[in-house]
Amino acid sequence: MKSSRNPFHPRFYFPLALVVFLFVLPILPRNPFYEDLILMIFFWGTLAAAWNLVGGFAGQISLGHTAFFGIGAYTSTLLWLKFGLSPWLGMIAGAGLAILVAIGIGVPCFRLRSHFFALATIAFAEVLRYVASYWRGLTQGGVGLLIPFKPGMENFMFRGKIPYAYIALGLMLLIILVSYITRNSRFGFYLISLREDQDAAETLGVNTSRCKLIALIVSVFFTAVAGTFYAQYLLFIDPDTVFSLPLSIELALLAIIGGLGTVIGPVIGAFILIPLDVLLRGYLGAISAGLNFIVYGIVLVVAVIYFPRGVAGWLKTWYEPFLRRLPGAKQALVTEVTVPSPALTTETSDPQDPDPEDEEAKSPLFQVHSLTKYFGGLAAVKDVSFEIKKGEILGLIGPNGAGKTTIFNLITGFLSTDSGKIEFRGEEITGLKPPHKVCLNHIGRTFQLVKPFNNMTVLENVMVGAFSRVRRASEARKEATKVLDFIGLLRQRDSLASSLTIADRKRLELGKALATKPELLLLDEVVAGLNPRETEEIISIIRAISRQGITLFIIEHVMKAIMTLSHRIVVLHHGEKIAEGTPAEISRDKRVVDAYLGEEYLA
Amino acid sequence: MAATLIQLVINGLLLGGIYALISIGLTLIFGVVEIINFAHGEFLMLSMYASFWLFQLCGVDPYVSLFMVIPSFFLIGWAVQRIIIQPIIHAPPLNQIFATVGMSLVLQNGALFLWKADYRTVRTAYSTFSLKTGGLMISFPRLVAFILALAIIAVLLIFLKRTYTGKAIRALAQEKRAAMLMGIDIYRMYKIAFGIGIACVGAAGAILIPIYYAFPTVGALFVLIAFVVVILGGYNSLVGALVGGLIIGLVEAFSGFFLSPHLKEAVYFVIFILILLLKPTGLFGRG
Amino acid sequence: MLNLENISAHYGDVQALRNVSLQIREGQIVSIIGSNGAGKSTTLNTISGVIQSSSGTIEFLGKRIENLPPHQIVERGIVQIPEARLLFPYMTVSENLELGAYTPKARRGKEENLEVVFRLFPILRDRENQLAGTLSGGEQQMLAIARGLMANPKLLMLDEPSLGLAPLLVKQVFETVKQINAQGITVLLVEQNVFHSLSIANQAYVLENGSVVLEGQAKEILDNPQVKEAYLGI
Repeated sequence: MKSSRNPFHPRFYFPLALVVFLFVLPILPRNPFYEDLILMIFFWGTLAAAWNLVGGFAGQISLGHTAFFGIGAYTSTLLWLKFGLSPWLGMIAGAGLAILVAIGIGVPCFRLRSHFFALATIAFAEVLRYVASYWRGLTQGGVGLLIPFKPGMENFMFRGKIPYAYIALGLMLLIILVSYITRNSRFGFYLISLREDQDAAETLGVNTSRCKLIALIVSVFFTAVAGTFYAQYLLFIDPDTVFSLPLSIELALLAIIGGLGTVIGPVIGAFILIPLDVLLRGYLGAISAGLNFIVYGIVLVVAVIYFPRGVAGWLKTWYEPFLRRLPGAKQALVTEVTVPSPALTTETSDPQDPDPEDEEAKSPLFQVHSLTKYFGGLAAVKDVSFEIKKGEILGLIGPNGAGKTTIFNLITGFLSTDSGKIEFRGEEITGLKPPHKVCLNHIGRTFQLVKPFNNMTVLENVMVGAFSRVRRASEARKEATKVLDFIGLLRQRDSLASSLTIADRKRLELGKALATKPELLLLDEVVAGLNPRETEEIISIIRAISRQGITLFIIEHVMKAIMTLSHRIVVLHHGEKIAEGTPAEISRDKRVVDAYLGEEYLA
Repeated sequence: MAATLIQLVINGLLLGGIYALISIGLTLIFGVVEIINFAHGEFLMLSMYASFWLFQLCGVDPYVSLFMVIPSFFLIGWAVQRIIIQPIIHAPPLNQIFATVGMSLVLQNGALFLWKADYRTVRTAYSTFSLKTGGLMISFPRLVAFILALAIIAVLLIFLKRTYTGKAIRALAQEKRAAMLMGIDIYRMYKIAFGIGIACVGAAGAILIPIYYAFPTVGALFVLIAFVVVILGGYNSLVGALVGGLIIGLVEAFSGFFLSPHLKEAVYFVIFILILLLKPTGLFGRG
Repeated sequence: MLNLENISAHYGDVQALRNVSLQIREGQIVSIIGSNGAGKSTTLNTISGVIQSSSGTIEFLGKRIENLPPHQIVERGIVQIPEARLLFPYMTVSENLELGAYTPKARRGKEENLEVVFRLFPILRDRENQLAGTLSGGEQQMLAIARGLMANPKLLMLDEPSLGLAPLLVKQVFETVKQINAQGITVLLVEQNVFHSLSIANQAYVLENGSVVLEGQAKEILDNPQVKEAYLGI
């Protein structure tokens, strides 16, 4: 796909005009009070956008970002005061140190559930504040550090506020750019998907721990750099300001008010709240300290209870129609040469796909030997063995609590096996964990309770899966579009996943898994809860999937579905395999009838 | 040396009793409502101020004001649950976290606005009184604080063990759906649990004011300790909060003596991280 | 006694029940059967008030109850014994029983009910001070039923009481249900075990995909080939 941007389209020139406006902004007022205000908006916008990478995109709520800010401020300041090292270099050193600390903290803490993650980060920042307060030999404790004013580019000190304003603006534009690139890249898709549903993201090949850590590192880098900037601007730092908890909270507040997890939301938040803050400080702060924070606190509580989506969400509905009214909107933004996308169904001719008539196709693709799993002394799966041949559809049935989903979880790395062996393509994959490795190994799965990424569009949902095979967003979009066409969701491609009907969500669940190009696909009750017509449609999709050479392993309660679909069926009861055979054999098997309907039913 | 050690144990335990009382309220709220109350410390601060002003303006002894603080803080907790927590009980964690964080910001700065950043304490006749035996010194108000804290915890545990309401609260914490199906009004229990949690931390404030200072950020200081205690004891175990509180008291006394009083926060944090890494359910927690 | 008229219910925005109507007459055992996900548990939870119905009415003893919260429904005399038992695992057997008798009315009759329950399940008397979480599967199911009986139900709803039990215990559970019914308590039974549940029931409903597809005398339903088809797909 070739493209060139049309500079006369509002979608292009309007943002450009905004950037130009930002560049002009600092030199407009010619008044230190307003210069300071503008500078502070840029500064806080940077910090909030940096926080948003972790708190918004990745959904990991850190209340300890002040720690990294403080490390940045103290490192560069101390290096400058003690060794005369230029704050520009000190800034890099500070960012480096903050990143090291962030890795040390992030690795253990990311395992915690949300509330406890927030708790751990608060605790950590508070400890650093105490360290900075009491390590007087190094930091002069609560007295703080004063930086003697020696203006000069190399010293990162300037007369007047305008140079600082441009540095802050530069940082802010940089973090917006990073956020923008993130939002439109594989990495950004991964972050949002893991925020929406970590298990589902793992299943689609997302290395969630690594993604969270990278987001944290980028976020911490900007936070620490902003810390150095702060020290160089005010020329004074003390533990109670640069390590203060309210600072961490303010970052989050700006991002939440502006729009969590959006590219420019945090900056919008800064544009709204920082002037308000300065105003409050001006009018209320004169009456007493602390009053502005009272207002902040109230805004925060009210916002999270009543307006959790922030301003950006609201602006979005207004932005597009606004652009359409600007001159030039009728022109095409991008002149693109779209290659008609071949439907997925044509891929059967792909040489990698197995031909069911092939000799090789009859060899087992997947084998399970004596698989056993205990839950607290109780065997959920006991000594279960079976194999799946290439291109086959194997059904797995059994009454409630028979251990079917447990088997899926054992195969896909959500649970570890107690004993037994799992083999795929002749290689042992027992205990392959975490789940994203299983996905990358070409085993896909769906969940019984579907797990759509609710705040992503249908297309974006499927793109997350496609990203496990391709790197570039444009390719992922192309792949995802093909998959959507195949599962019949193309028309809903731009709807949010949360707005889909249950039947469409089931399709989407299939689509996400298909986009990872699995060789073996595990389907957990994909037709449960659907009406007969919807069931028929899903079944025909499953048949089509099978025709493409994808081997299928299906759990299903709706018997009509599984009996017509499966080549062979394995029956579980109380964790043990009680029967295996063709659908016809299974339906005649007395043990199966007993297990389902209660013994003596036929008697 | 032996006397010093015993002295340290005494100091540590006396301190630990109060930590336990603060933490047990936090644990109860988390166990039942499944929310971490980030404003917990601010309620401690409020109650310290309440006792301070009752003493300053009306001459009420803190140990008497204790009996006014407990019921009024119960009502405050009830109201907070009803007005702020209830609307977000099913909301994502982000909303829950920032609702209580915002509340903490308001309360802390409200105190700063009303009462300035001054350190205030209550000087009573017994403030500096201490018992001396065999080379050991036990501060009287600390001893009273310890005894009161343990007494309140005991009353709470007995309440939860013996009364119908107490059992209903425990039942709710263990199996919410079954509690609902047995006819327990779970939303009422949330309010009661939040009320009790806040009453506990309120009581801690009243018995703390004769031995410590009230200032707007005092809550942050103690709540950090309470977080460590809760993680150490196991976040769903009240007994864990009691034992954890006493352990942290001992840790503080010993690390203050052998390392440096200024390093105690660092020591807490090491414990915090170690517990999270090695035994995330804490000493008494249930997986 | 209980009358559901055109009840629809949703899980989130997934429709779980579509226009379900059913009647339960006093003193009967009524069974709801159907495969997993057919809406059996949802029906019980809608009656219990755990799930709000989106349309339709529920009448119990002549009064509308579809908008009441769960605890008030228990006070009216409808008690559910949930699937997977959901005991309070860190409480003793006797505490679990006490919590069964939580409503004011049930508290008054606690001592008598305790006698009744211990007569029905003597083993529970021996286990009185044991933590519920440490009981065996069969004992846990007995405790769950006993806890429900402590609430003094007029209508007892059981959700999959035979789930996860060995065949011998399954028989016992159904025996117990019959005994409870013999004491004058109306029973609504949700089961996968078609044979057992139909053989003790008077009336039965078959649910499929959230709708009632078959209803009538339990004996007739037992012989209806449609049931086997719904379960085994043949």
